[in-house]
Formats: sequence, structure tokens, C-alpha cells
Amino acid sequence: MTEATKIANQASSRDPRVGLRSVAALRQLVEQLEVIQVQNARNMGWSWQEIAAELNVSKQAVHKKHAGRRFLGRGK
Amino acid sequence: MFERFTQAAREVVVHAQEEARDLRHGYIGTEHLLLALLREPSSVAMRALDRLGIERDAVRSDVVRLVGEGPPNRLGERDAEVLRSIGIDLDEVRRRLEEAFGPGALERRDRVRHGWRRRKRCESIADDIPFTGHIPFTPRAKKVLELSLREARQLGHGYIGTEHILLGLVREREGMAARILAQRGASDQRVRNVVIDELARGGGLPGRSA
Repeated sequence: MTEATKIANQASSRDPRVGLRSVAALRQLVEQLEVIQVQNARNMGWSWQEIAAELNVSKQAVHKKHAGRRFLGRGK
Repeated sequence: MFERFTQAAREVVVHAQEEARDLRHGYIGTEHLLLALLREPSSVAMRALDRLGIERDAVRSDVVRLVGEGPPNRLGERDAEVLRSIGIDLDEVRRRLEEAFGPGALERRDRVRHGWRRRKRCESIADDIPFTGHIPFTPRAKKVLELSLREARQLGHGYIGTEHILLGLVREREGMAARILAQRGASDQRVRNVVIDELARGGGLPGRSA
């Protein structure tokens, strides 16, 4: 990291706009990571129960989010 | 089979992908094929749709009303910048994910959410299409492409043009495109009549430019 960006980052670290956006971006990154990892676990034969345990959520929660939901409410 | 598609019909397939991407939908459905048909100015399908009073803008808002738009799903430059401010290097995250899960891993976010996508893959015309990137066709959209081939055969045409895609779309009644068309007064039968009429006006057997 160059000195300039370091200074820029330090300067912006108390800027709420940057801080809040970083939260939003991180949340989105987490969502995407979750999809990738759950998919991978399912491909490797993991049960919803096992996935839920690692994610620290209930089996129902992970199943509802990743198995039941159809994209944008398609399907019937 | 895809080699029998006319240039305009091929463009429809390519544009359908763009329509899906534009709406940030993770699939190419019949509605995207319809929107793509409405982008081919002098095609038989476009002329028929025009006569039926079907406008692209209206269809697009129907689609948005019925299925919505996808969330902004790419982490962009701005996101990378703010993530850097809390010590996360998005490029590095992306690099590692691609290393483990293949190119574009971070961008393909809706994979597990499609009920239909877990179904067994079926052999289809859509599998022959070389340039749809990673956006998959829905089973119905694949079916429409199959039906367009059948429509062409029934009409005794040796090619698949935009008109056959349109006929395939209305034949697949449960599809989003057929439902939108029907709601706008363009029933299967009306579409069929107008298409046949357009073909006749075009002077018997239409050229491959259709």
C-alpha cells in the first residue's frame, strides 16, 4: 500500500459514509460467500444439519434460505 | 441445431442474455427472449408484435412488476475501496475463491437458490449455443427454443427465424412471455394469425433474413 492510500484510509476511517458503506459491502460479501460455501458443502454431500452447525444457525434457517427459496419468487 | 437459426434469431438469443443481465436476473427465461425479440427492428416477429400493439417498454415494466429486478449483485470498485478501508482486500478474496471454486466464483451468487437448477440437466438446443456465458436458460426457455424448431418444421421452413421463436413463446403458455402477451391481448391464436399474415405479406417463403 502506498503512503498516499494509507493516509487516505486513515483520514477516511472516521468518515461515516465510508464506514457505513464498508458495512454494506461486507454484508454483501458475506452473503455471496455463504452461497458459495453452502453450495460447495452440498456438492460434497454435507447435510443441512451439518452446514447449519458450522454456520451457527438453525437447520431450518439454512434450509429455508438456500433450498426452499426460488430466485425472485419464480415458480409456483 | 443452432446452425439453422437465422442471424436475427441468433441475435435474439444473445440479446436475451443481455436482457437477463440488465435486469440482474440469474437466468434466461421466456420473458428475456420476448424482450430480445422486441429489439430486432425489421424482423418478422417485431413486425407482428408491432401490429399487435406490443411495446418493449410496456413488456419490460410487466417483467419488473411480475418478477422484480435482481439486487445489485456485483461487488464493484467502490465496494473494493471501502472494504480496503477496513483491511479487506477484495481482489485477494476474489482471487482465492476463484482458485478454489473456479473463475467467476464470487459473481455467481444465486446458484443454490434456483429450484429448477437442481433438476437434472436436459439435452437441449440451448446446450449448443456457444455464447451465453454462465447465465443458464430456464427449462421453459429451452423448451421455447425446441418449440421454435417444431414451429419451423410445421410451416415447412428450413430455418429458424424470429417468427418461430415468437410462435414457440406463445405456445409455451405457462411461460412468463406468453402470460404477459395474453394479458396484453396477444393470445396464442392472435399472434399465430398475425405471424402467418406477416409471412404471407413478405411474399410466400420469406428469405433467411427473417
